[in-house]
Amino acid sequence: MPYIYADPLECTGCRICELICSFTFEKVLNPKKARVRVRRLEPAIDIPIVCRNCEKPPCVDACPTGAMYKSPKTDIVLVDEKKCIGCAACVDACPFGAVFLHPDKGVAVKCTVCGACVEYCPVGCLKKVQPSRTAVEKQYTYAGKVRRSVVANLKVPEELKSE
Amino acid sequence: MSELKYKGYAGKILHVNLSKGKAWTQPFPNSLAENYLGGAGLCSRLIFDMVQAGTDPLGSENVLIFATGPLTGTLFPQASRYTVASKSPLTECWGEAHAAGHWGPELKFAGFDAIVVYGRSEKPVYLWVEDEGAEIKEAENLWGETTYGVDDILKEKHGQDAKVASIGPAGENLVRFACIMNDRDRSASRSGMGAVMGSKRLKAVALRGTKGLEVADVERYLEAVKEWHRKMLAHPYTENRALYGTTILVELMQEIGRLPTYNMRQGVFDGYNSIGGEVIKRRYLIKPRADFSCLQRCGRYTAVPCGPYAYVGGSPEFETQSSLGSRCGVSDVEAVLYAHWLCNSLGMDGISAGAAISWVMECYDLGILTKKDTDGLDLKWGNHEAMTTLLKKIARREGFGDVLAEGSWRAARMVGKGSEEYVMHVKKQEIASQEPRAQKSMGLASAVAARGADHLYAFPVLDEVGFEKEIRERFGEEYLPEIGDRLDPKYKGFMVKECEDYMVVVESAGVCKYGTQIPPVFYYGDIAQALKVTCGLPVTEKDLHVIGERIVNLNRAFNIRCGISRKDDTLPKRLVKEPAPIGPAKGHVVELDQMLDEYYRCRGWDLKTGKPTYEKLASLGLEDAGKKLLNKEKIRKEQDNQK
Repeated sequence: MPYIYADPLECTGCRICELICSFTFEKVLNPKKARVRVRRLEPAIDIPIVCRNCEKPPCVDACPTGAMYKSPKTDIVLVDEKKCIGCAACVDACPFGAVFLHPDKGVAVKCTVCGACVEYCPVGCLKKVQPSRTAVEKQYTYAGKVRRSVVANLKVPEELKSE
Repeated sequence: MSELKYKGYAGKILHVNLSKGKAWTQPFPNSLAENYLGGAGLCSRLIFDMVQAGTDPLGSENVLIFATGPLTGTLFPQASRYTVASKSPLTECWGEAHAAGHWGPELKFAGFDAIVVYGRSEKPVYLWVEDEGAEIKEAENLWGETTYGVDDILKEKHGQDAKVASIGPAGENLVRFACIMNDRDRSASRSGMGAVMGSKRLKAVALRGTKGLEVADVERYLEAVKEWHRKMLAHPYTENRALYGTTILVELMQEIGRLPTYNMRQGVFDGYNSIGGEVIKRRYLIKPRADFSCLQRCGRYTAVPCGPYAYVGGSPEFETQSSLGSRCGVSDVEAVLYAHWLCNSLGMDGISAGAAISWVMECYDLGILTKKDTDGLDLKWGNHEAMTTLLKKIARREGFGDVLAEGSWRAARMVGKGSEEYVMHVKKQEIASQEPRAQKSMGLASAVAARGADHLYAFPVLDEVGFEKEIRERFGEEYLPEIGDRLDPKYKGFMVKECEDYMVVVESAGVCKYGTQIPPVFYYGDIAQALKVTCGLPVTEKDLHVIGERIVNLNRAFNIRCGISRKDDTLPKRLVKEPAPIGPAKGHVVELDQMLDEYYRCRGWDLKTGKPTYEKLASLGLEDAGKKLLNKEKIRKEQDNQK
């Protein structure tokens, strides 16, 4: 289940990702047509809301026509626009608010993890992640934090201690 | 009227008459886009046409315009800006202010490039704009609220994704330097636009839209965006901006003696370290927060977690670190941070508010004002408790605050006793925190700016820390090295003229001065390319230069009608006569007359009066403005003859 993620304290809320997304898919600059929506809340929260391609996607379960499905090849949830009747059952079912109805076409739209927004994020905080790797990276971040106190008592060259 | 043929724009202007309770729309005129772009340029044209010279700025006949530019809401770096303009209650001549945030882009997504507000409502109201529709709604429950309170209430009502611009108590109480706040922490600060909004009893404009902006050259757009973004991110200033915003300017300005201190007595402040960017980053910064489409993220989201100055929110900027810090002799950083937040919350310009209080503190120091005059407040240098108390009294017009709410120029006329000499103003607006004795171009810029004392109209920062490469690229070799020397008055008339023309183009396009002037990444060629790719506007670099000059001349013509002339393009005696007493600029004064002569010559304006000639105006396609000025001159002469 790959998905796009940014830390809410790293994201500055510039919403360049929204415009890049809407232009990539729709050739127009319109945040309401973007598959990613940055939500700002006081205090200090700026968070890009994007489909997480859940292991057990409630939107797929909720879809009455089978328009919403998970691609077995890419592990990404997709919408078959021909089958979609615009009933918004998927919108109701998604716990993140990451599925939207297209304002003109009335069909469900969502992130396909194409990565265009990642490429243009000026902060570099927007990332394409896999939860299996997320945990590994967090483990190393934590290891880095304890490193200094542990290494301080080891008989290793001094320059290794200050790193 | 025919539809606008250019992309990038929303394509419509919303008109709202609050006296009649009516709203109507109009297609954005093609000629306005071609000759003025939008934003500041649009305001310049419409205000000149609609507001008469004798108009009372706080009367119902004044007109208030909110206007975005063609690039606002697009992917050009920092394309978040809008302009708000009117006749200023502070300067009684041209008034305008600008802000970033998300409100301007949302106005376009709601279907409008601009909103023109006429008349005055009987009861407090706010405007709700959504997808090409507008409703005037009752705002009794909002009256008296702070700007943050209004934001909370209107988001509760219309949804968290609504964008809100509002006035605080200061605007309601017609404080002459009241501002308009949007997206909580963004401020259209200067020249009292909040007071105009208050006089119309318009508490807020809230909006939301689902409309998109079309792009002219769909094939090449993303390629162009990629290159703009690459250039912006590659500049070393971008990283510094992200780290410190403008807060680190305290340290930099101290280094060159350009940090106004003690009501501009001097340009260095002993306590600079304790109110500077380093300490704010280390102790109070939560994160940088960006405005729409902004790659630089200079906005600081900060908090003071406890104590008398506790708050959380967007804060501060270099300007207020100086106006509410060094200029008042305040070195308590938590007081400075809170005072900035307080000004935003009450909806008043922190520059003018701080500058006015620093004038009071100097008068108090000299014995011109005593506790008897100040409601018992001990306004000695550095007393931050008295400063923050006075800020609240100004917004509520309580006691001595009522005097200061008129702005320091009018307050000094009430106080008398020689206090007038210590007002740091131009055209009745308080000077921003740019000590001009340490950077001569800033002195000239303040003296001639259309909205009164102003560093941003020209924003002549190219000589501040020596952007020699960019000076060479923009102006050629012939003006170097003098033009790049901040202490040399030579060629500063030329530079301020050139910078004014460019900066009004930037504000008319809807993009930010950061990225176009400091750091100087983009120039006319880039803006022209952006307008071509985004909008299909067939403007060349040269056309844009003429558009800039046209707007500056039209603003000047408006001011001439209001009675402004060379006599008003001046600086306080302190800055032109008293040499800087200490610091790196020690011994320097502003050689204003010399720079003014050069400026008027470059502008093609009359040297004696500072008026644009008919020929100059006509050459810019402003024959109508030229005729109006000639008529005014004729009437004046006839009146003189009768006497």
